[in-house]
Amino acid sequence: MRALKSWEGGLALVFVLTLAWNAAFAPEFLTVQNQINLFQLSIEKIIVALVMTLIIINAEIDLSVASVMGLSAAVFGYLVNNGWGGGTAIALCLGVGLAAGLVNATLSARFGIPSLVVTLAMLIAFRGLARVLVKDNSLGGFPGWVTDLGQKGLVGPVPLSLVLFVLLLAVLWVLLHRTGFGRQVVVIGTNAEVARFSGLNVGRVKAVLFVMSSTVAALAGVLYAARLGSVRGDSALGFELDIITMVLMGGVSIFGGKGSMAGVLLSILIILNLRNGMALMNITGHIQTGVIGVLLIASVLLPNIVSDLRVRRARS
Amino acid sequence: MTQPAVLELRSVSKSFAATQALRDMSLQVLPGEVHAIVGENGAGKSTLIKIMTGVYQPDGGEIICDGQPVTLRSTQEAQAAGIAAIYQEPMVFPDLNVAENIFISNRTKGAFMRWSELYREAVALIAQLGVTLDVRRAASGLTLAEQQTVEIARALSLSVKVLIMDEPTASLSAHEVARLLAIARALKDRGVAVIYISHRLDEIFRIADRVTVIRDGQHISTRPIAEVTEDGLVHDMVGRALESFAVKTAANPHGEVALSVKGLGRAGVFHGISFDLAKGEVLCLAGLVGARRTDVALALFGIAPATEGQISLDGQHVAIRTPRQAMDLGLAYVSEDRRKLGLAMALPVFVNISLASLRKLLGTFGLIDRKAEAAMAERYRQQLAIRAPDSATEVGKLSGGNQQKVMLAKWLETRPRILIFDEPTRGIDVGAKAEVHGIIRALAAEGVAVLVISSDLPEVLALADRVLVMREGRQAGILPIEEATQERVIGLAAGQSSGKGERTAA
Repeated sequence: MRALKSWEGGLALVFVLTLAWNAAFAPEFLTVQNQINLFQLSIEKIIVALVMTLIIINAEIDLSVASVMGLSAAVFGYLVNNGWGGGTAIALCLGVGLAAGLVNATLSARFGIPSLVVTLAMLIAFRGLARVLVKDNSLGGFPGWVTDLGQKGLVGPVPLSLVLFVLLLAVLWVLLHRTGFGRQVVVIGTNAEVARFSGLNVGRVKAVLFVMSSTVAALAGVLYAARLGSVRGDSALGFELDIITMVLMGGVSIFGGKGSMAGVLLSILIILNLRNGMALMNITGHIQTGVIGVLLIASVLLPNIVSDLRVRRARS
Repeated sequence: MTQPAVLELRSVSKSFAATQALRDMSLQVLPGEVHAIVGENGAGKSTLIKIMTGVYQPDGGEIICDGQPVTLRSTQEAQAAGIAAIYQEPMVFPDLNVAENIFISNRTKGAFMRWSELYREAVALIAQLGVTLDVRRAASGLTLAEQQTVEIARALSLSVKVLIMDEPTASLSAHEVARLLAIARALKDRGVAVIYISHRLDEIFRIADRVTVIRDGQHISTRPIAEVTEDGLVHDMVGRALESFAVKTAANPHGEVALSVKGLGRAGVFHGISFDLAKGEVLCLAGLVGARRTDVALALFGIAPATEGQISLDGQHVAIRTPRQAMDLGLAYVSEDRRKLGLAMALPVFVNISLASLRKLLGTFGLIDRKAEAAMAERYRQQLAIRAPDSATEVGKLSGGNQQKVMLAKWLETRPRILIFDEPTRGIDVGAKAEVHGIIRALAAEGVAVLVISSDLPEVLALADRVLVMREGRQAGILPIEEATQERVIGLAAGQSSGKGERTAA
């Protein structure tokens, strides 16, 4: 727990340094519009990352999230262009997410196939479905309410998606750290057999998480379609890697059992601010990606180096 | 005993940060003796072993090998000086065969191997130990005991002069223990000094020539085995007299039947288990390793449900399919494997204690009542004398005995009416063992029906009101405690003529 706190302490320090650096070298950085843009550009990813945090702490993985986002976006575009009402279209998209989650949950939690394999297969399958639906075209020319949904301020200048992110963050924070369900997630992630021998319903907890993950991914897909105003077969392609990066850099152990919402939030803030700052300073996207890659490697190496040093100090 | 020591420690001390693990420790090990070292967990045995095998460097004092002061900077240097160790969990490479495993660390053979020679030497080494083992067999199929044999042969191949055996019998069955002790004697006859570390005092009396007691990192006594008694040894280890291993309260044979099992079985695993367990009674399941006793417990607890027979609780037939269901019916199962099945080692004490009764702590929206949870943990920490700085400490950082108490607390909090203990004192020291026995008897006195699975026969005889002996997945007999002697129980367990007094459950 203490090491975990110090990990978050480190993240907080990096975050403050990033803010200071951005504020010093990019004059537009501190404007309200830029602060909102900074979130908006990755809003769908960071929403999905919140649920991914619980999944990885549970010692599972959901690689299919980006494909579910893509599929949901495609379904949404298709329905809207065929004259369906907004409420019905969104509800159907969430239904697609729910169904996708049930497939993942059934195959991994019920039949015991590793989630890495199941969700990798579903990554391919759902992406295939999205491509079948959209073919080589792009769906666009949505009615005005769709782009309003994606871009217009809901609370002052703050758009719906950012409000949803903040709400989901609060709910999942409490869920993970304060409720019995969250406790079960952590214990199962630490040792699923111990959990089973203590009477916990391991399969049910995992199933709930997979359904939650796909449903939220479907919602993120709708937001993505609405924000961009067009959908293609490869919408949200590869997003799962960015999402998992955010979670791991937040100090969540890929082996499960360890991690906090605070860490993931800080990791998200660092990544978004770094990208935004570099963009404002006209640093190219490739270099931005490189910097974040280095950060990720450092975040994996650093805890190992620290614990190694501790062992050596204990020995000498 | 006038011969020179093969290994001697003079005033060795070692400390880690604030804790003094060893102070002024002196020890002489003579060639061809079995030298037992006993002490409670935390007495400094592990540190002592690690200093002798070059894992740790002492802060002060001298290590003398064959009359020469030596510095052992690594296990390789210790091996070169003729000191090697085998542990409870042997280290073998599963994909290599026995002979390859024996010579794995032998670097004197050059770049190319002559396989015929290697096998011949392996056969010779195994033969020296007085056992039969096919040297071409893959290590993956070996039993724990056979893996230990391989490790010992490996040590012999390095012309070991001092072999340290650290809790070698903790997971062995009775006849495997006998074979290991025979190997230790064979080593001794070849002039090898064996340092034997075990919590099982009966083994020490069977094998040791001399016994050294350490406590709180200090040398307490070294005496020839003929001059010590079990009580004296225990007294030296804990520094005070212990009440007899378990204070047996009057059994309650007329209590109502809490659990009744008839013809219980699981296809291909075990069959035909029948017994009645009364409130306040302690029934022990005895048998050799592999007798499938744990499988009976797993069936009762719904982990691997029974496929045949009947279970009745308080006269009601029940079918137990999941642990949750078993717990709701008032059953609890304290697993034998703390590390894999019992405790989430990386999580704090309080999380582990509340784990099985989390529901009681949930309020609106499923929020955990954290004050109540902390109070629960604190209550058990005091009640069971769990030695942990506070209940936020990781369970993995506690000693084995204290981990066992945390696991116990977890199940006590579920207020079980039927409590199943699987090897409740494996790998914990005599002091903690006596405490656990006391808790088990106290629970029985309160009317809890207790089922204990134990491979430790003195423990079975000290705790049980009745003993159910299993052999190869079947019930070999039930003995009331008055009729249960070591000989009868072992006889039934090993399948010798079962004797005329054998009974089965009513």
